[in-house]
Amino acid sequence: MVGAGGAYTPDFEGAKRSMLSPVPIFSIRRAGSTDQFRGPRDSASIALIDFGDLRAGPAGKFVSSRKASSYSELNGLGDVNATVELGGFVEYYPVDWFRTRGELRQGIGGHHGVVADLSADFIVPVIQHFTISAGPRFTAESTKATSPYFGIDAVQAMATGLPVFDAKGGAHSAGAGAQVSYRIDPRWEVHAYVEYERLLGDAAKSPLVTVRGSPNQTTVGIGASYSFDVKIR
Amino acid sequence: MRRSSRCESFATVVLVAASLGACATFETRETKLQAIKTVGIISAVGDEMSFARMGLTGLNNATRNFPIGSWGLDDLIVQQATAALSGRFQVQPVTYQRAAFAAIKDSPLAPANFIRGDPFKKLVQTEVSPQGLDAYIVITKAKSNFGSGARKVEGIGFVSYGTLLASYNEIHVLYEIRVFDGQTFDVVEKMAAPPLDNAGTVGLAGPGRLVDESFSPSAGDAARNENLHGAITELIARSVPSTLSDMHLADVR
Repeated sequence: MVGAGGAYTPDFEGAKRSMLSPVPIFSIRRAGSTDQFRGPRDSASIALIDFGDLRAGPAGKFVSSRKASSYSELNGLGDVNATVELGGFVEYYPVDWFRTRGELRQGIGGHHGVVADLSADFIVPVIQHFTISAGPRFTAESTKATSPYFGIDAVQAMATGLPVFDAKGGAHSAGAGAQVSYRIDPRWEVHAYVEYERLLGDAAKSPLVTVRGSPNQTTVGIGASYSFDVKIR
Repeated sequence: MRRSSRCESFATVVLVAASLGACATFETRETKLQAIKTVGIISAVGDEMSFARMGLTGLNNATRNFPIGSWGLDDLIVQQATAALSGRFQVQPVTYQRAAFAAIKDSPLAPANFIRGDPFKKLVQTEVSPQGLDAYIVITKAKSNFGSGARKVEGIGFVSYGTLLASYNEIHVLYEIRVFDGQTFDVVEKMAAPPLDNAGTVGLAGPGRLVDESFSPSAGDAARNENLHGAITELIARSVPSTLSDMHLADVR
């Protein structure tokens, strides 16, 4: 499946301002299978264990680098390199219309911490090809995952005028998301979503957020995708 | 500079090797198919039918199964496939343990399926008579997710799908076709039957169609519902020749 979309996302995690950026859509699934429900925040994943209502397997996410020179609010703070987060996911459907999902990922690169994402989605088919889904979200992060983005050391404090802050891990954010999708025909699908999260714990208490940013983080996105079969022998 | 040149050379070698490999694989498959003269057809799809409620359902959404062996759908599938293939191959009748083929299930652990290899290979070697044909075409149940949910449906079935504003009933005949080499018993070709054109189904990766409530197997004995029997028969009759054509085994379009 290939497609394109746009997302109006915060400039960086904890930022007050947002910007619109293009989002490529690309996914591979086995020929002759249908698309399963997927939330906007889900990492790329493969279900190696699939009982239908219980699925599990490896998951991975790419977190792009945060350049201090890109935004005035970050001036004086160091760059954070891009991170690849690798781990696994488990999802369980107690009934067809309710999905719970958990992910646990270890960062490699920009941060070396552990990130845990929990989500639940009520999936409501409205008519034959039109589906609405919505549910709560929660993220917890270790200190090593939080500190590079929200901690301020003595050198950075001198350069920015912000107070020194030792960001610890723990509850990172809580929020909710909603998505609508419409399948025009077996090939074409359009979707739109909104995800809101409020930063918690030391992420919310960081001077980067309290002085220059906001704990309220909202992402709005739209997209269209086209599915086709590729036969490889 | 030298390093860059070495990288380019290496990339070229890899590309050429990959291309040659792909061509060799393609040629091998085409050559194998062209060499086939005699085939036997095995079908193990039509012993039972599932009935499932999906979408916005209550908590009791378990799938039930009904025996429909009396409909003789496997004989119908063999008959349809024989008619479609006769123009190109000499189809010979074979005997086999239908239940053994129908009993094989995929493991929910993907690595286990990968390690096990094709589960029908040994059955074709040991449970089919006569041996010695050029190829054996094995038609068995396939599985598909239904819509965007997690539930899977398999083989022949009826799904009652509830949405917020409407309910839909859908029948399906999900099957896959493998072509086994009669000498090595390797799979030469494999394909899951695709959806029929303009079927307007809710979300299945195989043959299906919307039907009304009178087709539901929930009221009484499923095997005695003539509407249902007729609709399933019609799906098979439309789909089998079309799928064999998609596999380039029959020219029926």
